[in-house]
Amino acid sequence: MNSPSAPHQESERTRAEGGNAPSSKESKIKGLKCRECGRLYPAVAIHICEFCFGPLEVDYDYAAIGRRISRSSIEGGPKSLWRYHELLPVTGEPTVGLHAGMTPLIHAKRLGKYLGLDNLYIKNDTVNHPTLSFKDRVVAVAMTRARELGFDTVACASTGNLANSVSAHAASSGMKCFVFIPHDLEAGKVLGNLIYNPTVVAVRGNYDDVNRLCSEIGGEYPWAFVNINIRPYYAEGSKSLAFETAEQLGWRIPDQVVVPIASGSLLTKIRKGFQEFEKLGLVAPNDRLTVNGAQAEGCSPVYRAFVSGKNHLIPVKPQTIAKSLAIGNPADGFYALEVVFKSKGAIAAATDPEIVEGMKLLAETEGVFAETAGGVTVASLKKLCEEGRIGRKDLTVAYITGNGLKTMEALAGALSEPISIDPTLASFRKTVNPSN
Amino acid sequence: MTQMRLHLTFPEERVRDPIIYEICRKFPVVINIRRADISLDSGWVELEMDGELADIDRTVSYLRERGVHVDPLEKSILEG
Repeated sequence: MNSPSAPHQESERTRAEGGNAPSSKESKIKGLKCRECGRLYPAVAIHICEFCFGPLEVDYDYAAIGRRISRSSIEGGPKSLWRYHELLPVTGEPTVGLHAGMTPLIHAKRLGKYLGLDNLYIKNDTVNHPTLSFKDRVVAVAMTRARELGFDTVACASTGNLANSVSAHAASSGMKCFVFIPHDLEAGKVLGNLIYNPTVVAVRGNYDDVNRLCSEIGGEYPWAFVNINIRPYYAEGSKSLAFETAEQLGWRIPDQVVVPIASGSLLTKIRKGFQEFEKLGLVAPNDRLTVNGAQAEGCSPVYRAFVSGKNHLIPVKPQTIAKSLAIGNPADGFYALEVVFKSKGAIAAATDPEIVEGMKLLAETEGVFAETAGGVTVASLKKLCEEGRIGRKDLTVAYITGNGLKTMEALAGALSEPISIDPTLASFRKTVNPSN
Repeated sequence: MTQMRLHLTFPEERVRDPIIYEICRKFPVVINIRRADISLDSGWVELEMDGELADIDRTVSYLRERGVHVDPLEKSILEG
């Protein structure tokens, strides 16, 4: 387990905390700060406050950043999330995930017309590079920071998008990679990782056993476990979705956003990204910004807490086709709930059939093939519109976080069959009859 | 000796039971509560548990049998 560290002092560290001391180049990162008690720590590979067990977050020197960042400095940057490097928790040049981010923001006119929205936009991370999900953002930032901290090995526990992204980025950067999965995971889900040749460790045990083992490994081994000891940096990568949205809207903050909730981190970081742009004067403040969440009904601890008006989350056993959102006890669920309540937003939940309908609706109206999480977002957006929570004129952005090619099994039996004809014009006319 | 950092979630039907007291009496583990939030119908506790690994395992099993949800401090690590 991690040893105690005094605030902003270089004490003896465990191997898992990373060996490199912060350098003078780290002027934009003051350190890590406990979200609960405010205690300060050096910017190393730790994630929990030793004093109160609260989560640690990156503490930036916004005055220093404000002297260097501007709309033109951003516009002159690379066409990737690294154009916002001043607001990302790395100190040197990016070294991993150089092409992640800057995905299209689509004015979704046809979907908007169906839903009764004049100003609906889709942030399309189904085409993120290299593994077609928003995880490419957080992993790019986590692994760049991990290399700065001196790690040569990266790890994660994942059955899907996160494992894909960590494996691919480890391959391209030459880092050693360990992926932990439950031993009874379907073979097909492992193939997308094995192509990158990581070490895939199948743990004989259930979901809780995998969690516990990974927690222990995260504290013992000198590895960058992206969503454990590197989590404060990893999570910050999600802010780039907000930065891109604001820039692509012509330096504006939307009135409404709809964000899928798994751990809850994405939703909180999108709000934080908009706040940082406001704080630095890059956009005009928009007090109307309402943050809405989307969960699959089969794994909806945050939705259930929202509906009950409470801030205690009851863990659940996930039972949904939206596997990428299936987190039964979300680490940032409480904070996501807090953001939603404070912004006077709402959380909707979608059943499995509604998720499939959401995927089809997005594909049929906008030509975007999203994974099941995208179906959750679209189905929840529809519900929020029907409840009158989103107005026709509201500038609305829905976040589509992964590609449909990854969850094809969810569509089995849900789509119409091809029309079968003989190879003759007569058969085509008789069977298809395109003039009708 | 081993130390585990755990997040315990108490459902409504267990929130009034003295379960922390029970595990201290039943098992040779040392409990150090670091953060908690308890209401009338639900609650959570974050704590350190020190003891031999086998005793910690028995304690965690007992907590689960009593209806308490036990996670590492990081909660759900396994992501989709």
